[in-house]
Amino acid sequence: MTDRGAMRGFSDGRRTGAAGARATPFVDRNFKYLMIFPAVAVILFIGLFPVIHTLMISVQNLTMLDEDTSFHGLVHYGRLLSDGRFWEAIGHTLIFVVVALPTELVLGLALAYLFLDRLPGKQVFVALLVLPVVVSPVIAGATWRLLFDQRYGPINQVIGWFAGEDVTILWTVDPAFVYPAILIAEIWQWTPFMFLLLLAALSNVDQSQLEAAEIDGASFWRTFFKVVLPAIWPVMAIAVLIRALDLFRLFDVVWALTRGGPGTLTETFSIYAYVQGFQQFETSYTAAMSLVVIILLAITVTLVLRRMEIDR
Amino acid sequence: MAQLSIQGLRKSYGRVEALKGIDLEVDAGEFCVFVGPSGCGKSTLLRSIAGLEEIDAGTIRIGDRVVNDLRPRDRNIAMVFQNYALYPFLTVFENIAFGLRARHRPDAEVRRKVHAAAELLGISDLLQRKPRQLSGGQRQRVAIGRAIVREADVFLFDEPLSNLDAQLRDGMRMEIKRLHQEIGKTMVYVTHDQIEAMTLADRIVLLNQGQIEQQGAPLDLFERPVSRFVAAFLGSPQMNFLPATVAGDAAGPAVRVEPGVVLPLVGARAPLPPAGTAVVLGTRPEHIGRAAGTPRPGQHPVDVAIDLVQPTGSRLYATFTLAGIPVTAELAAHDVQSPGERLTMWFDMTRAIVIEPESGRVIA
Repeated sequence: MTDRGAMRGFSDGRRTGAAGARATPFVDRNFKYLMIFPAVAVILFIGLFPVIHTLMISVQNLTMLDEDTSFHGLVHYGRLLSDGRFWEAIGHTLIFVVVALPTELVLGLALAYLFLDRLPGKQVFVALLVLPVVVSPVIAGATWRLLFDQRYGPINQVIGWFAGEDVTILWTVDPAFVYPAILIAEIWQWTPFMFLLLLAALSNVDQSQLEAAEIDGASFWRTFFKVVLPAIWPVMAIAVLIRALDLFRLFDVVWALTRGGPGTLTETFSIYAYVQGFQQFETSYTAAMSLVVIILLAITVTLVLRRMEIDR
Repeated sequence: MAQLSIQGLRKSYGRVEALKGIDLEVDAGEFCVFVGPSGCGKSTLLRSIAGLEEIDAGTIRIGDRVVNDLRPRDRNIAMVFQNYALYPFLTVFENIAFGLRARHRPDAEVRRKVHAAAELLGISDLLQRKPRQLSGGQRQRVAIGRAIVREADVFLFDEPLSNLDAQLRDGMRMEIKRLHQEIGKTMVYVTHDQIEAMTLADRIVLLNQGQIEQQGAPLDLFERPVSRFVAAFLGSPQMNFLPATVAGDAAGPAVRVEPGVVLPLVGARAPLPPAGTAVVLGTRPEHIGRAAGTPRPGQHPVDVAIDLVQPTGSRLYATFTLAGIPVTAELAAHDVQSPGERLTMWFDMTRAIVIEPESGRVIA
């Protein structure tokens, strides 16, 4: 209290001083702007500049082989509308988001609940559980590819023991199994991320509120929805958002397991953009594509953040 | 019949024994206060009754049910927490209604009871607010409201006033006492504040190091403490404890606190140990007064020099040295003008107690 009072007095004094004496130096008056200027400059340079540059490229007709910088208008955007493969890639990406995200959330939350109590060896188990997150996604994908190998992979072997005969599921080729394979790898790797954040959030729920709910006779679910969920909501919302954006740019695991195949069945947006940009060398077209996705994502994220009321 | 009955209750945290065998009976409708210094086990005892702590041994009965193995929700208790533990994302109405809704009471009943409780506590106009929009005192009322709508058998209060400022605390203390008179339920109340304990309780249970030091009506404990601990804990300013020796003479039992200062013990008392035995004399500040007029029987004069004066407005605490110990007397507001004054004090020896120094037990 005293501190705050003292500070208020101090700033008041400065303000009247500044208004009274016109001669306050420029540096003094704009000190706060000068202080944040470097940060703002860096953010503009690494954030805004690439977007503007992408916008410029997207209205030219650049390829890796032909530096045609003349203005082509919205020709690439028009092409995008009728590009079925682009929209399919968006669709595939959404499938991954819609399946993996809730699964990771529910599994992570359940695990966090399990580890909430003080258990012997808890630290060790938490450390073990978190290991997948430390593995580089490309390495994880390559490892899963070996695990899923139809002839030598342990997964088919184990299923074979239960089936009582040799099993040769073509995990990375068979259209019925490619999605499960990628999703298993993805969920395996990122559920611990959810687990860790939610464990921290759950540990911070006021213990006496839980005790009050128990004395009041609330069931597990009533306590969860009325007391726990609102308390962990801000953390959970951010975790979901981070994972949703991660999943939207899903590349490595898919690339390592299927390269977007069979055909283009598991081609995500990131893979399609990579193929267009770095294999077909359609630089301007890729720029247009990326810009459209950035705008779509920006709109979605803004709407979602508003709905989530994180800053409530 | 006892509403709450505890026998042989023990609880340890690892090697630390928090409760070392508690036996306690609380009658139906009684206001029972657990009081004691921090770490004495009072909160653990309350949480054991609530079922929030598992106990190691003993039985807890509420009404005629042994509740040892019942979950908190099945014990039909209500509790007010020290930090209120309001649900921050629910309105005041939903906070109070929470226990009723959890027990699937019909909507009309929920509304009727919540409004009745809000009326009783004077928070009817706050029902649509969220807890963070309330002041400390208002939150406290909501927490109490949440407890009373439940119509529980026993109400538990865990230091409910300790987060309020002094003025609010006095007001809320009165309201809790009035509430108890109105609803007449069995209440168990934990506090470290001896004033709260004295003013609220029908029965005080004074705990020390996991054991009940003494229990009974507040004035019983205040006037007839069984030990130095009880005598020191209750009363403000604290009782004075003077090293003394037994000095019986022809006139009757007496103690010598200083060469030349022999105080006769007046009133019916247990026999003192032989003359020369070291004891501790306990006398409350309000039983030492400035000499004026003729002394009442039992008032014994002692000449002192005042070292320190603490006026409180209505009263005045004057400190002087006797037997090498600072002794505080509670005097009328203008009895002493300044430190250094020499005057005669009357010690009311009918109220003084004699303590056995080793055990701390009151012996006479």
